[in-house]
Amino acid sequence: MKPLETVPPEANSPASSVPDSIPRDIVRPNLDPNAPSGVRKFYKYIKIFRVTLVERMTYRGDFLLGTFLRFVPMATTVLLWKSIYDSSGRKSLGGFTYRQMIAYLLLTHISRMFSSMPGLAGGIARDIRDGTLKKYLLQPLDMIGYLISYRAAHKAAYITTSAFPYAIIFWICRSFFDVPSWTTIPAYAVSLALAFVVGFAFEACVGMIGFWFLEVTSLLYIVMTLNFFISGHMLPLDLLPRFWANLLESLPFQYMAYFPAIVFQEKIQGAALVRGLALEAFWACFFVVLARVLYARGLRRYGAYGG
Amino acid sequence: MAIIEADGLSKTYRVFQKREGVLGALRGLFHREYKEVRAVDRVSFTIEPGEMVAFLGPNGAGKTTTLKMLSGLIDPSSGSASVLGFTPWKRDDAFRRRFALVMGQKNQLWWDLPASDSFMLHKEIYSIPEAQFQSTLDELTELLEVKHLTRQAVRELSLGERMKMELIAALLHQPSVLLLDEPTIGLDVVAQVRIQNCLREYHKRRGVTVILTSHYMRDVEALCDRVLVITRGKLVYDGLLSGIHDRFAGMKLVRLEFFESVPEGLERYGEISRIEGPVVDLKVDRDRVAEALGAILDGHAVADLSVQDPPLEQVIARVFEEGRSDHEAA
Amino acid sequence: MIDRTLRHARLIASLGRYTLAREMSFRGNYLVKLSVELLWLFILLAFYKTVFMKTSTVATWTEPQYLFFVGCHFALNGLIETLFMDGCVDFTELVRTGDLDFILLKPMDEQVLVTCRKIDWGTSLNVVMGGVVMALALYQMNWRFDPVRAVAFVVTFVCGTAIAYSFMLALTSFSVWLVRNQSLMEMWWLFSSLARYPREIFRSLAWAEPLSFLFTYILPFLLVVNVPANVMVRVFDPATVAFTLAATAASLWASRMFFRRALRSYRSASS
Repeated sequence: MKPLETVPPEANSPASSVPDSIPRDIVRPNLDPNAPSGVRKFYKYIKIFRVTLVERMTYRGDFLLGTFLRFVPMATTVLLWKSIYDSSGRKSLGGFTYRQMIAYLLLTHISRMFSSMPGLAGGIARDIRDGTLKKYLLQPLDMIGYLISYRAAHKAAYITTSAFPYAIIFWICRSFFDVPSWTTIPAYAVSLALAFVVGFAFEACVGMIGFWFLEVTSLLYIVMTLNFFISGHMLPLDLLPRFWANLLESLPFQYMAYFPAIVFQEKIQGAALVRGLALEAFWACFFVVLARVLYARGLRRYGAYGG
Repeated sequence: MAIIEADGLSKTYRVFQKREGVLGALRGLFHREYKEVRAVDRVSFTIEPGEMVAFLGPNGAGKTTTLKMLSGLIDPSSGSASVLGFTPWKRDDAFRRRFALVMGQKNQLWWDLPASDSFMLHKEIYSIPEAQFQSTLDELTELLEVKHLTRQAVRELSLGERMKMELIAALLHQPSVLLLDEPTIGLDVVAQVRIQNCLREYHKRRGVTVILTSHYMRDVEALCDRVLVITRGKLVYDGLLSGIHDRFAGMKLVRLEFFESVPEGLERYGEISRIEGPVVDLKVDRDRVAEALGAILDGHAVADLSVQDPPLEQVIARVFEEGRSDHEAA
Repeated sequence: MIDRTLRHARLIASLGRYTLAREMSFRGNYLVKLSVELLWLFILLAFYKTVFMKTSTVATWTEPQYLFFVGCHFALNGLIETLFMDGCVDFTELVRTGDLDFILLKPMDEQVLVTCRKIDWGTSLNVVMGGVVMALALYQMNWRFDPVRAVAFVVTFVCGTAIAYSFMLALTSFSVWLVRNQSLMEMWWLFSSLARYPREIFRSLAWAEPLSFLFTYILPFLLVVNVPANVMVRVFDPATVAFTLAATAASLWASRMFFRRALRSYRSASS
């Protein structure tokens, strides 16, 4: 199995993270060299968002078949864990009851919906390699700003278009869920939003390595494959032996799948929850800053060597 | 016996009409509108063995679609065709072994490997006997002067060199019918001429039947006597290249040189396109040339005169122009 | 007929040679692919190990039996990916760009050319890795050599590969209609999850029984890894083997028909 396949949600987004040309009208509002107002600047990214959204909706055939197929692994996962619990004869494994386990695995899908960025790092690395990067230097666009609005659009399109099938799945599986208390919901929302930032900035950092090494895809494969397991997407980290569980819970990868899920399940509450969110925010800032630093340094290097 | 026959060949496409905006795209998820487009409309013709025929027409006229139906890549919506006695879209192995299609805008050679590797693969695919393979390859590489390039990775070749390799790949199995779609597109004049010469020479040696589509009149003039003009999916002309003038060019170019300055009143014979000293160019209606010349010679002292057809390129451009404006009107 | 088969066999052999030559010119890439596959195997084994720390059987499969299943799955999947995956993934691109034209023009079987065009040597060692895992499982359970079972295993393993190939071909064919379908890999990953676990898990919940019936008797995808693994380390049931043979023939035939139907809808994007 190749790791690219292990990025379940949204992998049918285009291989390239960046369209070949940015439509003219996206750039127009900002052509005025006198400092553009904040609103206008924002408008530009809204436009990118809209254009991308329209493009995504047009391909329904892909989407419908993809949705149908998405049910398959969910069904087999439910069946597998039912068998595991039945065979073990135990009520709870690693602190998860069967119901909680299924809820957890469905919730990691939601986490990954926010945190996975198929093709982002690869796209950045390719832009660096083939010189498309120059467009960010020539046009009044900030690359990270552009990419984040582009991604946000993809996510929004993906989440709206899959809201329906997911609603069906969650409705079918509603008996697995305990309704969280009203204080948990905002914490969950924050954890998901931060999961998006962590996922985006982490992938962007990996892509920036392309400034120094031409061949990043291979590294990417390894990172993504590994991430599938260490983010807790495959099974809750609590099931692992103590040592491994502790190790993986101290790494930032858990925020891309594991952490938001257990926030929803209220397995982490009170002071621990606040600390968890703070740590997640820290990692989000850390990767954003790192991406900026790498970008700035990379550009300097790029400028020095020519593209 | 005709080697290629098309009878009422038609191809209709259903094209999805994309709506504007986010709401439109959302609606498109549930309900779609389609438009029928007739790419090729009841085209019939026959081609005899050994002929070299050109398809002429503006972009999107249906030339390539016709060619693709003749090579069996797409099924027609209606009508029938026979190539070498086969129905092309049944794609019999025996049929596919005897013809070749070269597309100037696509390449079939393996990008990362030298052309000779792709040739070897062709040898395998077409089961070409070793001796025949060697002699054909030698002949073709010599003809196109690319013998020294076959061991170089294809991606390192220039566009012209690559096209020559494509041509060799297509001819290795000695097809009886050769279909060429824009074979010289994007090439410089030298490479164009080299490829024309190769095709002409190869045609002379093997008597292969060729259909060619091209934007360059030079290709057509150099290679083909007979042309089929297609506009908007319809066959509007089938005949000799020289006959295009009679059919589409209503004018002749009359150049007159007078002993003195150009006299007044020539407008009544036709449109004056140029006056330079004692020389005048007149565009005269084909039917009125004799009459006009008679009148002019009677009334003025003429030093020299010539009557010419307008350049073919202009005529064709006008045919295309008409096809296009009809298209827009419809 | 025989001549035609031989011709195709020779062609596949030379295609394999060329792809190998190309692979070797990017040797670094090959090593990376290999390590990714190895990593993935370790993840699968980690999952398996974690689960069996909490239970002694899963859906009536004991630990070594299940280990054999994992190895069998990994090897079979590796074989599919080596032989067919890249060609099938490429098909989408061929349809989109219109380069499928060149394949249709060749006096060779279109299906063979499309699916066997790109042999991916990067996953070929998965078969060996899967084999090692299977051997380890057999050693753990003190398996006594049984020639009948071994032969039946090889036969059903080949059948399983052929059935999986048929389903991959059917999914591939869809891309003629879904021109922007860039995700055959993903579709395959989602769909093939059906065969990733023992068939017995479908007995754990009532609603899954009809699914199990559907994917055993109508769309026989559940036979893919299950039958060879069962034949080797669990129940050897000749009737199941016979049914698998019949199902293989039917799947190959049906997917071929579907592929041909899809080719007829191909539009050949001009230029």
